[in-house]
Amino acid sequence: MVRRYGELTAVDGISFEIAPGETYGLLGPNGAGKTTTISMIAGLLAADSGAVRVLGEQMGPSRVAVKRHIGLVPQDLAIYPELKGRQNLNFFGRLQGLRGKELTTRVDEVLDLVGLTDRAGDPAKEYSGGMKRRLNIGIGLLHRPTLLILDEPTVGVDPQSRNAILESVEALSGEGMAVLYTTHYMEEAERLCDRIGIVDSGQLQAEGTRDELIRLIGGLDRVRLDGSGDLAAAADALGDLAAVEQVDVDRTGLSLAVREAPTAVAELVTRAIAAGVTLADVEITRPNLEQVFLHLTGRALRD
Amino acid sequence: MRVVGAIAGVELRRFLRDRSNLFFVFVFPLILVVLIGSQFGAASSSGRVVISGADSSLRAALVAELEEAAVTVSYAGADAASEQIARGRVDLGLELTDEAAAAFDADEDLTVVVTSSSSGGAITARQQVDRALNALQLRLRQEAALVGAGADPAAVDEALETAAAQVVAPTVTVTNTSSISEAFAGASGFTVGASAQVLLFVFLNTLAGSATMIQARKYRVVARTLAAPVATVQVIGGEALGRWVIAMVQGLYIMLGTALLFGVEWGNLALATLILAMFAAVAAGAAMVVGSALDNDSAASGLGVGLGLVLAALGGCMLPLELFPDSLQTVAHFTPHAWAYQAFAEVTRRGGTFADIAGDLAVLLAFAVVLLALGSVLLRRSLARAI
Repeated sequence: MVRRYGELTAVDGISFEIAPGETYGLLGPNGAGKTTTISMIAGLLAADSGAVRVLGEQMGPSRVAVKRHIGLVPQDLAIYPELKGRQNLNFFGRLQGLRGKELTTRVDEVLDLVGLTDRAGDPAKEYSGGMKRRLNIGIGLLHRPTLLILDEPTVGVDPQSRNAILESVEALSGEGMAVLYTTHYMEEAERLCDRIGIVDSGQLQAEGTRDELIRLIGGLDRVRLDGSGDLAAAADALGDLAAVEQVDVDRTGLSLAVREAPTAVAELVTRAIAAGVTLADVEITRPNLEQVFLHLTGRALRD
Repeated sequence: MRVVGAIAGVELRRFLRDRSNLFFVFVFPLILVVLIGSQFGAASSSGRVVISGADSSLRAALVAELEEAAVTVSYAGADAASEQIARGRVDLGLELTDEAAAAFDADEDLTVVVTSSSSGGAITARQQVDRALNALQLRLRQEAALVGAGADPAAVDEALETAAAQVVAPTVTVTNTSSISEAFAGASGFTVGASAQVLLFVFLNTLAGSATMIQARKYRVVARTLAAPVATVQVIGGEALGRWVIAMVQGLYIMLGTALLFGVEWGNLALATLILAMFAAVAAGAAMVVGSALDNDSAASGLGVGLGLVLAALGGCMLPLELFPDSLQTVAHFTPHAWAYQAFAEVTRRGGTFADIAGDLAVLLAFAVVLLALGSVLLRRSLARAI
């Protein structure tokens, strides 16, 4: 897809696929082109070139029937604050073609799903920030879309509500729904997404699973063994292991560069103790997407 | 059509859920109807008279005469009556003593003490009291004359009633040569005030309500709506219908309220509703223009109130159009209010038919078509801005 605003190319050739039941993350800083991308996928904007296909059907602003497959949860709270939670759901449910008993049943189910059943009769403006966010998400789920698009749904949310939202999203992919999740929070992308596309300056810089992206930068896990005793002997013993690429000794312990540290750590500890080291602490640090982003773009994710 | 109805329904619900609207939509219009109705003479009363004195045939006969002449009669003791007269709460006081009552029963001369207040209605009330007393006196003389001529006293009352029924009372037709008086002939002050307030508040509140269109864009609800399986034309249709329904609710509320509370007669209801429907379409189109052209909801509310008041004043909703000088009347007809005012006046005051108001309706239709078309174009552009 390509989308231009005058001289600015907001989206410059981004292309990816999402399978049913998959959660795909678009990770990138503010202004990277994430929202323009999902606006084209949701049929709000037309692409200047390229195409969006949902279940094989081309999507666009005039493709009204195809929009039924999409559930959009905008970054902003797209709700009527003066209306009650249930009234908001009823309205958007009608727009999606739900009627009568089906609408009532589905609204009740969604209220239960987002934990707002007890507050369904209150005006949305009286909700906490987290409750509004949950209502915002619930509206996107009403018609059981094939693809749910969540545009930074945890922005400005307290940690407790944020965790509840992330748990809900995890549950959705388990039900077979395809989820497109945009965020600039690395932790969310790592936790939720089966595959991640890293976006910057309107371009897809890299794409893959978390581990695939980490491997792109040849990243090794770091293991820190704090302790006392014969540290030099331990360094020799550990350096012989195939998983260990590098060992550094300092006054308080050993620092190692290791492949697949979670698998190798038991052997590392056993050999260090056998070499005469009394361990006080063990710490594993894995490379993360922040480092991948830095490697790909030359700047930090939150710049 | 269901989508259009859903959007229109939610717009009406949002409008009615705004607490600040409740006063301006439901309370304030009726207050203004009362104020303007009073200014133009709300009720036709021939005076207020308080009577002191025990119940008697004299009192009953006098009250019957006064009430037939639309005089408002109340009763009080002598002291209370004096206080009411002194405070101007009544125009006139009548003291009917026991002696006077006994003299009336005996067909003898009697004295009624009349006390005037300083109110403006005292002279009219005094004329009505004099007329009533003269009527009683005439009746007494008629009875005396018949009895004196040998008639059976028991049959005198019946004979006089029969005679009165057979004599056709002369009628006086007053032709008012003032064009202004003719324009208001047959209309109570409430009727004039009510139709003007319908126009003022329908336009003003619908225009001020355009702020909700801007809020919907601001809340990104519009973007979410367009992401649903909904065509742009359905959104535009829903917004237009929503504005029209809001205008109709406001107008019908004032019409119903004034009919029930103040006895306002709206003439041919179907025609009155047709005028309202046409004017509501004009208001809906204007609201779409304001709500689409502006991106600040506070500015839209302010503009709505300001424009609503100015157009209402120019269009004859604050001072009746008939009182405008000719040049201002010409200016007034650049507003839709003036055309709707004329149509309402024709229907409510002069029993006008569809043919009588067809011209006014045609102009209102033209206003509505132009404004709704412009509003639709601007709304389509504003929807693009909202994405």
